[in-house]
Amino acid sequence: MTAQTALKESNVTPLVKPAADALASAAPELSGLLRVLTCGSVDDGKSTLIGRLLWDATDLFDDQRATLERGRKVDGGHPDFSLLMDGLVAEREQGITIDIAWRYFDTKTRRLVVIDSPGHEQYTRNMASGASHADVAIMLIDARHGIKTQTRRHAAILDLVGLKRVILAVNKMDLVDWSESRFRQIEHDFRTLMWRFGFREAVAIPVAAVSGDNVAERSKHMSWYKGPSLLEHLEEIPSRGTEPVGAFRMPVQTVLRDTRADFRGLAGTISSGTVRIGDTVLDPVSRRTAKVQRIATMDRDYEEAIQGQAVAIQLDTDLDVSRGSVLAAPEAAPVVARTLEARFVWLSEVPFDKRGSYLVRTATDLVPVTNIEIKSLLDLDSLAVHPATACKVNDIAIANLALGRATAIDRFAEAQETGSFMLVDAISGATIAGGTVTAASPDIQQQDNVFLLTRAMLARGLCSDVANTPEGEAEFRRRSNEVALLLRSAGVAVEVESLPDYVI
Amino acid sequence: MTAQFTHLDLLESESIHIFREAAAQFRKPVLLYSIGKDSTVLLHLARKAFWPGKLPFPILHVNTTWKFKEMIAFRDHWVKEFDLDLIEMTNHDAIAKGVNPYDYAPSIYTDIMKTVPLKAGLDQYGFDGAFGGARRDEEASRAKERVFSFRAEGHRWDPRRQRPEMWRLLNGRLGAGETARIFPLSNWTERDIWRYIMREKLDVVPLYMAKERPTIERNGQILMYDDDRFPLKPGEKPVMRSVRFRTLGCWPLTAGVESTATTLEEVVAETLGARTSERSGRLIDHDQVGAMEKKKQEGYF
Repeated sequence: MTAQTALKESNVTPLVKPAADALASAAPELSGLLRVLTCGSVDDGKSTLIGRLLWDATDLFDDQRATLERGRKVDGGHPDFSLLMDGLVAEREQGITIDIAWRYFDTKTRRLVVIDSPGHEQYTRNMASGASHADVAIMLIDARHGIKTQTRRHAAILDLVGLKRVILAVNKMDLVDWSESRFRQIEHDFRTLMWRFGFREAVAIPVAAVSGDNVAERSKHMSWYKGPSLLEHLEEIPSRGTEPVGAFRMPVQTVLRDTRADFRGLAGTISSGTVRIGDTVLDPVSRRTAKVQRIATMDRDYEEAIQGQAVAIQLDTDLDVSRGSVLAAPEAAPVVARTLEARFVWLSEVPFDKRGSYLVRTATDLVPVTNIEIKSLLDLDSLAVHPATACKVNDIAIANLALGRATAIDRFAEAQETGSFMLVDAISGATIAGGTVTAASPDIQQQDNVFLLTRAMLARGLCSDVANTPEGEAEFRRRSNEVALLLRSAGVAVEVESLPDYVI
Repeated sequence: MTAQFTHLDLLESESIHIFREAAAQFRKPVLLYSIGKDSTVLLHLARKAFWPGKLPFPILHVNTTWKFKEMIAFRDHWVKEFDLDLIEMTNHDAIAKGVNPYDYAPSIYTDIMKTVPLKAGLDQYGFDGAFGGARRDEEASRAKERVFSFRAEGHRWDPRRQRPEMWRLLNGRLGAGETARIFPLSNWTERDIWRYIMREKLDVVPLYMAKERPTIERNGQILMYDDDRFPLKPGEKPVMRSVRFRTLGCWPLTAGVESTATTLEEVVAETLGARTSERSGRLIDHDQVGAMEKKKQEGYF
């Protein structure tokens, strides 16, 4: 038992003051954080599996342990572990439309964030939004039933939102007499299914949730299995933020200034790759470059910053970039797009409306949509694509979007954070769909009778009070977007003229 | 150097990101400041998010006039130190009418003295987004809360209006009459708050540390005798006990725990060793079943 555990079990008021090193082991900074999505139905034993994992490996509160101990005993006198997660299910029966419950637990080395979303077919959107936050998903199946349509469906959703690691927990191995051949058959089916998706890692683990076999501890009943237990595997997966991938990107959130120190910092979170002092970075829209002079935070300056860090970058020349820009590596720049091809999960109860007013919210930009053309819907059961022109809640649509103004965007496969977007209802503000970019083009989609809203038109009246500064430009864009939306809701196809010096 | 992130580094970056995003998307945001440890962390992260600039929004404190004296002193000290723009809201009408935490049920008292002036403050200044220190680990009904949480007209929380959130994208566009609550600490736990306070060497209200204080024991709860508004029952008189507080609110409604932890290190060691949930010391949550859920729907933070 570690000092941490020993301390937990001691009295609330320790008689002996803890030594400094005892404190350090009681309150370590955990070396990592992993967000785990659980999918599967209650019948497969999802609640039991997660409950068992938390019971064996984490720091449950005493009252939670007491609740379990008091609960009805199931097979072999084990507590009913499902009570831990089922408390949330009751919470959910309140007519809440889209719901993900977040739970936080610490193992000895890392924070586990368990994201629980309902797994039934009609909950595609819940699983999609839950999975978009996760680093790994545990898909649970019953060893007696093997891979079912639901497993395929789940895998398709996980793949769609960019999840790279999946675990297939083959549960209830006790009910198939711990049979290796049964497990190998399922594992084979799983691999066959997985190859068609873009997962980086797909692992199958035979478990028995109730008795805890291969959950935290290796099973004594399945000596033929040489792989890790579920917990061991979860502790080996690289932590969130430790795998900088792709070319440098930093969507600019805001500009921070200190006039006394001549500081003008472009503030944002590095969404992919790394950046170093002296690196040349590009503002894709203006096609201008500058060198990184300083990577600053309130605590200290950095020589290098990586994906996930929130910083303020000062450049050697003023590029006039402001919120909505994406600083990027010049050799692998995002597309300055006017047309997107995207896949999206329709989240809203309100179906797609050809004449609706929509906005695309990218990492930090908000762009009016001038046209959406639904091309097809993905059938999650067959993974086939069927031509379609309409789209409603829980649908996964493939569509073309024409943007009213150019914005820097990536293909999702290359950079997830700058290649994903939300579709927003311009009037109600509601989030309508979550999308991933499959292709982006600077070309403007051909449309008849497009009304061009020129800068001159806007500048003479509506924007005559707007200063010629980056903030002014942001305000100029905001107003032109609003006008474009009003016209669009009146049925007029609109384009907004870009800055004169923008080369598109 | 390439940073090896600890989980606190990741949480810190995420919170800074949320602050910057909200400040950019909302027209007139405000930070709800309650002086406790979560507010201390919230304020610190806000300063980091906008450094080297000043906070681009004011802070709002709802003062029931029943807050511990040490809380107000702490607040005033840091407001001056950080050059913060403080707005204080108090329901003076209710105080004039004699509303107090002894003669009113906790839920009614909370509504009148906290929720009503909070809503009044938001309306009076036209704030469209309010930062709060709520965490998802605090209570079951918060486990499903969004980072941007929307309120309909009248500040009502309607579960059906809550927006799905995907990836790191945050959508703060408001519909007519809507306002938002913003929770940058959503993914923090109570332990993280303490660990972070230690790591960043932040000052907290001394009430979190054990000290001999005048107390009254009632129904198994140890309450502080902070001033003579405490209505003593026959035979009751303040007893000096070494106590500290896990959460801070109105002193008549906030129970302390007996403790000898006089330094932050000892408090953290005790807290991480404690095996009951943090809000068990808050009387308002025990008042009725689903108390928090209901308070939230009525506009409580």
